[in-house]
Amino acid sequence: MANHVKIALILTTVMVVIGVILAGVYLMTYAPIAKADLNAKFKAIKFVLTNQTTGQLLVNQDEIPKTIDQLNAKIWKSNPSGVLYSNPKLPGYVLSPAYLFKGKDGSNIYVLTGYGIGFGGRVVTVASFIQQSDGKFFENAIDVIDFANETPGLGAKINDPDVRSRFFDIPNSGFKDGIRVNKDADLFPLPSNYLSKLNQYKAEGIVVTSDVMTGATITPRSVANTLNAMYEFLEKEVK
Amino acid sequence: MAENKLSDWAVLTAGWIKQNPTFVQVLGMCPVLAVSTSAENALGMGLATLGVLAISNLFISFVRNIIPNEIRIPVYISIIAAFVTMVDLLMHGYTYSLWVSLGIYIPLIVVNCIPLGRAEAFASKHGPWQSFLDGLGMGIGFLGAIMLIGITRELFDAGTIFGYRIWPSAYNVFVVALPPGAFLVIGLYMGLFRYIGRMRSEKKPQGSENK
Repeated sequence: MANHVKIALILTTVMVVIGVILAGVYLMTYAPIAKADLNAKFKAIKFVLTNQTTGQLLVNQDEIPKTIDQLNAKIWKSNPSGVLYSNPKLPGYVLSPAYLFKGKDGSNIYVLTGYGIGFGGRVVTVASFIQQSDGKFFENAIDVIDFANETPGLGAKINDPDVRSRFFDIPNSGFKDGIRVNKDADLFPLPSNYLSKLNQYKAEGIVVTSDVMTGATITPRSVANTLNAMYEFLEKEVK
Repeated sequence: MAENKLSDWAVLTAGWIKQNPTFVQVLGMCPVLAVSTSAENALGMGLATLGVLAISNLFISFVRNIIPNEIRIPVYISIIAAFVTMVDLLMHGYTYSLWVSLGIYIPLIVVNCIPLGRAEAFASKHGPWQSFLDGLGMGIGFLGAIMLIGITRELFDAGTIFGYRIWPSAYNVFVVALPPGAFLVIGLYMGLFRYIGRMRSEKKPQGSENK
């Protein structure tokens, strides 16, 4: 009996000491982690507010948030639950808050954060949608800010420039029946002239990723699901 | 108790080649296969594992005489998990892009065989200084091995090393980025290490193999 008590006391002491040390490290790294996450978000917002063809900002330079207060001033919709919209069938989720920016040409630009389910969990994407003069939405660009649970070298390639660019400039027609990666659209193997047809495929809702992301279909599919959920959310809330 | 007579230098260098944790002991293969797709990822993973190995070995050696035998494994795992959590938090805060690209494999250092194996085989039987050296040496061996594999895989997959182009992308062999390619590269290096080991033992005078 005494031995059991001794063992329990030693184990408890070890765990308490480890807990205290970890709490100290957590407190020490809390601010740098929050800063790193916020910087990643600022960087992503600036990226998606840039025309990826010309490299020019879609909004005035002073519209780009640099502090948390400036970012909060751009909130368009928020929900205390943390989720603005969900479509479990996809599955795709739009996270709170959603931001609204005014473009240089006066158009509304919605910047949304959302996630789909990848190989190892959430794949979080920031995307911008421009509302054109006819009221339709044009998806400008994406930045994948959290893919920490995807397989390095395979799914974790999702934010490589070559892969990410395949999700840029998707017109409204592409979202009519939802966008899909080319393997889900039976566009595999790819025809020899597929590179010259990438924009045509986007207009049909097909995002070609199999050539730049061989061996990983689940991760780009989760980004496609996220964008579909974002589009559904905008259709519901804006129109 | 012959192990106690090992020199510091012998303890430090044992893991480099002769007892290399990857190519000779074949330990911790999961992160080696998964993370060695690029030299940068391999360097990050290797350094994280090296840090955890050296520090956890040191602390386990400190507490080895006060931990009852029945609970040594849970205590070792808890100490290793604590240091892995620290590394994870520090990388999240200070090396964000590397933390994102290494992803789930940082927390998984906890279940890597190497830290627990060295804790049980060495740190629980030796003093803090030599245990620290053992962790450092094994960590260097692991870092070297994963770097070698990472550089090879990145070179053949993308034609680059640390992002710097070495040859045109037209010569890329994409299969080395996939799991079969990882097995292939690791197998070739293991064969090379065995061959070098055999050549060295054949050159030694008879009866000196075990020295």
